[in-house]
Amino acid sequence: MPDLAFLFGQSLSGLTAAMFLFLVASGLSLIFGVLGVLNFAHGSFYMLGAYTAYQIVQWLGRDPASFWWAALGAAVSIAILGGLIERFLFRHLYGADVLYQLLFTYALVLILSDAAKVLWGTGQLSVSRPPGLTGAFKLWGTFVPYYNLFVLLLGPAIALLFWLLLTRTRSGRLIRAAALDREMLGALGVNVDRLYTGVFVVGSFLAGLGGALIAPVKAIVPGMDVEIIVEAFIVVVIGGLGSFWGTMLGALVYGQVLAFGILIFPRFSIFSVFALMAVVLILRPWGLLGRPLKS
Amino acid sequence: MQRRTVLIALLALLLLVPPAADAQKPIKVGFPMPLSGPAALYGDPALKGAQLFVEEINAKGGVLGRKIELLARDSKANADEAVRVSRELVLKENVDFLVGTLTSAEGPAVSVVAKENKIVFIAPIPKTDQLTAPDKLHPYIFRVAATTTMEGRSIAEIVAKWNVKRIATISFDYAYGQDVTRAFVEHIKRIKPGVEIVDQQWPKLGEADYTPFINAQMAKKPDAVFSSIWGGHFVTFSKQAKPLGYFDAIKYNLIGAGEIASPEATKAMGAEYPVGVWGNSYDAFYWQDAPPAHRDYTARLSKFLKDDAPSSWSIQTYMAMQFLVEAIKKAGSTDSDKVAKALLGLTVDTPHGKLTIRAKDHQANRGQLYGQTVRDPKYPFAIMKPMTYVDPTRFMD
Repeated sequence: MPDLAFLFGQSLSGLTAAMFLFLVASGLSLIFGVLGVLNFAHGSFYMLGAYTAYQIVQWLGRDPASFWWAALGAAVSIAILGGLIERFLFRHLYGADVLYQLLFTYALVLILSDAAKVLWGTGQLSVSRPPGLTGAFKLWGTFVPYYNLFVLLLGPAIALLFWLLLTRTRSGRLIRAAALDREMLGALGVNVDRLYTGVFVVGSFLAGLGGALIAPVKAIVPGMDVEIIVEAFIVVVIGGLGSFWGTMLGALVYGQVLAFGILIFPRFSIFSVFALMAVVLILRPWGLLGRPLKS
Repeated sequence: MQRRTVLIALLALLLLVPPAADAQKPIKVGFPMPLSGPAALYGDPALKGAQLFVEEINAKGGVLGRKIELLARDSKANADEAVRVSRELVLKENVDFLVGTLTSAEGPAVSVVAKENKIVFIAPIPKTDQLTAPDKLHPYIFRVAATTTMEGRSIAEIVAKWNVKRIATISFDYAYGQDVTRAFVEHIKRIKPGVEIVDQQWPKLGEADYTPFINAQMAKKPDAVFSSIWGGHFVTFSKQAKPLGYFDAIKYNLIGAGEIASPEATKAMGAEYPVGVWGNSYDAFYWQDAPPAHRDYTARLSKFLKDDAPSSWSIQTYMAMQFLVEAIKKAGSTDSDKVAKALLGLTVDTPHGKLTIRAKDHQANRGQLYGQTVRDPKYPFAIMKPMTYVDPTRFMD
């Protein structure tokens, strides 16, 4: 029986991983829920967020607040990029065959990954933890890095903010309405095009923010786009595509299964997650908190 | 119409010029190497090492009175692509020899091409034991890189001198990680029977989140760690391990295979590098007690790359080209069968001292530089000090 301090540390590490995944997967799920497009390029937005954060840190140099400006700047830049892509490219795909949408977003993945290689090269880049959050404190026999604590608090804060936005505001009600019946909403005089762009901007913002925030705990390398999109897909499949709290639940489950899975199957760490996804797909194809698709 | 006629006439004239005599034709060396994608970080300087050697030998008039021509192709760090470009080099470009490949997937794949076409292939960097294993060995494959067995055992020799008992390992769960870890564990148990392997972690190749593995390992309270988390992956690993108190818990008794102490790796991480850990590198431009030939080589490489801190990867291909040219000289011919025979037991004076390709397994007794990383005010990144060249000759079998 491993001691409790260790189990606590393990579950904390799973929780931290879950919060990063939630940031990225919630944007993916939101865009699918409202626009009905599975955006493969969401992972590329995340990767570009990390690279942009690196770039801004380089520009600002030794400014102690440089990381925070970088995180904000990266999220905003990616949001703008997402908005432009929606306005000029995605717009032509609504209502098109799913295959076209997938091919198009996949093409975007290739283009953006090559663009990143041209701009930043193929080497590993690194961003330091922001000053003040570099250390760690001991809690119940486990070291908790301050930065991880920050991410653990930020995740639920953003979730709550979004939940309030979706349920308590007019835009939130419109977004939920657009997810249910786009044409009816348009007929009622709502500018659906603008709403769609808005949703895409918000989703991209979350991806860019996720990428910027992961930079201090990971090397920034080509290929991180594909890596995250696979994980984000697993999360939304487990939680239920398009379901907000489902994404949160999916991320939490993913994090814990990965953290404890390595204790049970040390050689097959990733296996436990895929096994879980398979079980969910068999028993509840629409995910833990998703709604069954009407046929 | 007239211009076209002139063009055709010109073309015909060009074709009519008799080909130069064979003796003046350059010796062609095909060079498959990852030149794009993440692996290009190492493939690029590897190409430069071979280019430097070719420039130097051609300035001296070449070999057997013929110049050497290097034909580099991008293998994209992919076995299929490496095979495709190697076939193209052999069949279309009629190269006389193959030198190159970086990963342990590409090396054995190109070895098959060399065997089919009966042309000498020298692998400068792939480490997998498979490449020169008895069932895969053929007359045309040679290697100047250390093998996974040699690397794992070299590290075991170093750790055996430490005052540690409880040892843990962390490696990627694929061929290189498994092989080098097994070599380390078997050798350390043999030469220091008192040690205990208390934990082994196997994250997947390119793992994004090592925290659960790090926690699980720390829970077993090891006092030293063998790691083969290589290159850029070590950046991610140590960024996550440092705030968890991992390095403090093992008193920085971590030794890494996979070139984590190379100038490239410590440069990439800058202030984030967990200074105090041990690692290895193919080469180090700052090598203090190097053989005199090394100092000279470093100066030339530095000039060639226009870099004060030149790459540690160039040496491998430089050596491979040296072996090839010495063998051609010894054979007095560019015939692959004769050159292959000349390579058996051939000793070459490299910038790292005398190296010999053994006749029995076509493997050079190539060691690597190992040392503890420290900060040195002279450099903006960590260096190995003291640093030793571990000669594997004693424990190759």
